[in-house]
Amino acid sequence: MTPERYICVNCGYIYDPAAGDPMNEISPGVAFAALPEEWVCPMCYAPKDQFDPLD
Amino acid sequence: MKPSVASLYQAVELQQEIPPLLIGERANANGSKKFRELLLADDYQACVKIALEQEARGAHVIDLCTAYAGRDELADLTALVRLCAGSLKAPLMIDSTTPACIEACLRLYPGRAIVNSINLEDGGDNLRRICRAAKKYGAAVVALTIDDKGMAMTAEEKVRIARAIHAIAVGECGLRPQDLLFDCLTFTVGSGDATLRDAAVQTMEAIRRIKAELPGCLTALGVSNISFGLAPQARKVLNSVFLHEAVKAGLDAAIVDAAKVIPLARISAEDRDVCLDLLHDRQAPGEKEPLMRFIAHFTARTETPDEEGQGDGVQPEAQLFRMVMDGDKEQLEDVLAILRERFAPIDIINQILVPAMRHVGELFGKGELLLPFVLQSAEVMKASVTLLEPYMDKSEGDAATTVLLATVQGDVHDIGKNLVDIILSNNGYKVHNIGIKVPAETIIEKAKETRADLIGLSGLLVKSAMIMQESMAQFTEAGLTVPILLGGAALTPKFVAESCVPEYGGPVVYCADAFAGLKAVQEFEAGKLTSTAYDDVTAVKAMKPGIRVAEIDRTVSVPTPPFLGQRYVTDIDPSVLFPLINVEALFRGRWGYRRGKMEAGEYAGLIQKTVRPLYEELMRKSLAGGWIQPKVSYGYFPCWSEGEAVLVRADDAVHRFSFPRQAEAPYLCIADYFKSDREGGDVAGFFIVTIGPKMSEETGRLYRADAYHEYHLLHGFSVEVTDALAEYWHGVMRREMGIGGTAAQGIHGVVIQNYQGSRYGFGYPACPDLEAHNPLFSFLRPEEIGISLTENMQMVPEQTTSAIVVHHPQAKYFAV
Ligand code: B12
Repeated sequence: MTPERYICVNCGYIYDPAAGDPMNEISPGVAFAALPEEWVCPMCYAPKDQFDPLD
Repeated sequence: MKPSVASLYQAVELQQEIPPLLIGERANANGSKKFRELLLADDYQACVKIALEQEARGAHVIDLCTAYAGRDELADLTALVRLCAGSLKAPLMIDSTTPACIEACLRLYPGRAIVNSINLEDGGDNLRRICRAAKKYGAAVVALTIDDKGMAMTAEEKVRIARAIHAIAVGECGLRPQDLLFDCLTFTVGSGDATLRDAAVQTMEAIRRIKAELPGCLTALGVSNISFGLAPQARKVLNSVFLHEAVKAGLDAAIVDAAKVIPLARISAEDRDVCLDLLHDRQAPGEKEPLMRFIAHFTARTETPDEEGQGDGVQPEAQLFRMVMDGDKEQLEDVLAILRERFAPIDIINQILVPAMRHVGELFGKGELLLPFVLQSAEVMKASVTLLEPYMDKSEGDAATTVLLATVQGDVHDIGKNLVDIILSNNGYKVHNIGIKVPAETIIEKAKETRADLIGLSGLLVKSAMIMQESMAQFTEAGLTVPILLGGAALTPKFVAESCVPEYGGPVVYCADAFAGLKAVQEFEAGKLTSTAYDDVTAVKAMKPGIRVAEIDRTVSVPTPPFLGQRYVTDIDPSVLFPLINVEALFRGRWGYRRGKMEAGEYAGLIQKTVRPLYEELMRKSLAGGWIQPKVSYGYFPCWSEGEAVLVRADDAVHRFSFPRQAEAPYLCIADYFKSDREGGDVAGFFIVTIGPKMSEETGRLYRADAYHEYHLLHGFSVEVTDALAEYWHGVMRREMGIGGTAAQGIHGVVIQNYQGSRYGFGYPACPDLEAHNPLFSFLRPEEIGISLTENMQMVPEQTTSAIVVHHPQAKYFAV
């Protein structure tokens, strides 16, 4: 099973574990659940609880 | 001549050769879900079709009712009367209690209509006005036996009210007796309530007496109320038998679903007997109560579910609870009428409605119910209380905890506070919502006047948070000690704990959302409410995302804009914005339709069946209603950077825009994207865009009509349209500067800034200073297109946004 993608409900940014998040220095392969608690949306800075499973 | 009514095409006698006159009841926004949905979709043609169908099924007259919360009744009703007048052979019954609507419809209806209805609830003012209009335009009138004490229950009372109405309508206003159709309003015999066992008997007796004692007058009746609370199939039979009995008593006209009337000959003798026993309250010695026998008789059969799914025979208490949970208002009046027979209104509120709302809140808290559904539940609660209020003493409910709510000075943001109002007041609390832009002095005054137990303050921007902080000292000085709840997007627990709590004697509490507010009020009642605390050490420190490259290319060429200076654009077609709407943010964020724990398939179904259609409807409605009026003031200005500032030359003056620099690597600052004077200078773009004031008007209208769900939907939609306009205009400016447009970006491309350059809104992290609105307004002069600035640096209308547009390819969002 491929790790799930998550979407920021505030701005629509999609966190894709396959791509990681260079803006927050998150390397590819990190599942959403494994992101640190202080991680925020790289586009609008919404905290993790503002993310929703995408599909 | 026989009393009759008429359409453009034909006259119809009110006293039919074979009575009764059948009045079709389905073209009614309150009585028919289907009709209501078509109306809400502004599909007038389909509404007319419902009227036509009833005509085809045998209705002689068509009742037309468009009164529905959040709708413009006058506009709807006059439009439909016009359409029906042209296409219906059957004369119309204009169903409204608003005199102005009735007058307008009578004026334009080309035949002789019936007005439905008048009553004596207000002592006779509306009655007189409507009767005079009926006299003027030659209409007949349905008169309900209601006075200031409510619906008459006994024959005696019904006749007394009918006489009083007759005295005014005929005696004073000059109507003829045959212009009046008295509707004696029957209660149900299906509730099991002992005081209602003879409801049918009383109604039939009243019909008989009115016909005898008020000669020439006619009678009408909404028949189906008689069976409310019973199973659908049984209702059909009982209604038909009752209709027959009422006609025997002298009934002239029946308001019915013509398709559901079963000819007596097709009803079996056994069915007829149980119905007659129930209607006439007949019980032979040794027999069970007629209602018991009726229910036993009909449940012995297999039921086919009714197409409108009404009345399922459950206890009305449980039914009301369910209806709150489901956000279902369909039969609210009927269910409440039954419950009122048995419980005091205040008990219905405290024992059924409030617990139901609490349950809704709990499910929301657990993530099992989405916000839109909570709002629909609150609508049911609100509608129930509104229906119950006339039966309550003024003093009842005074004991409830009282909350004063306001949006602070210089801030027009209404919806955050209003959502709190909706949640608190529909959980049984008393809320005094004193509006927007409220100065601290007024808050103090009102808090004392209303003896508020708590004060809740709201605001949109950081400046409002500052105002909150400043007013804490004022509150203290004024001697206030009641808890203060603070909420709003720009507020943080840290700010509340460190900047507000120390300034005030009582508890000061940060509330992230309306439910946090509810929780605080509950804690207050339990004596457990304490100020927000913030611990710097344990708090989660948010990361600071951004491009990690420090070296900014100083050699990129400066684009040539098509002009220098400021320009207005006011001819943007609103529909070009729709493809740029951030649909995911709208559905999941603004509206709260999050997937959360839902299965992917279930969520996809919700989006497809419920959410998308709502979205499409709003696009259509906002275009039709002209609610989106995009206007832009923008321009390109020569500029140069100086350290952390960008100096902008506009109208022969130089304006300094200062930006913060990141405190850690890569130490970014917006000024770095612009060339210095020595490097030859640069060009900066600026814009202020608005979709105009109409959206605020429309949302205000929905809120006042207690259409909470729609209110929330339209507000969310309006803010995303505003963002779409900013996105659209940013695209235009990129194209004008020759650095690419929005084309082929797709909405997700836009989200991740898949284009050259960036735009930064003032007040966002990389350019937090809202005071920049002062110079910006001085050279973009958006007042010309209707935008003003409050002392809090808030732009009015609220659906307005501003930005600096940067062309540098390395410019992207970053947090400071
Ligand atoms: C949508 C939005 C917009 C929209 C529309 C604004 C509107 N409301 O009509 C648009 C695109 C137009 C916009 C523009 C701007 N925005 Co804006 N916007 C937002 C956003 C995303 C949501 C605001 C909103 O409407 N929420 C919906 C309502 C219902 O929520 P709410 O008001 O917060 O209320 C809830 C809670 O806060 C709480 N609550 C509120 N009050 C109270 C009171 C009590 C007593 C209690 C118990 C609870 C409570 O309960 C409510 C319901 O649950 C926020 C960020 C965010 N995610 O919250 C930024 C945000 C408010 N915007 C921000 C900014 C900067 C701006 C602009 C200045 C940008 C610009 N330069 O153009 C402009 C200013 C607009 C103006 N008119 O002056 C900043 C404000 C920071 C600051 N410096 O002040 C925010 C916080 C974003 C951010 N993270 O930086 N914005």
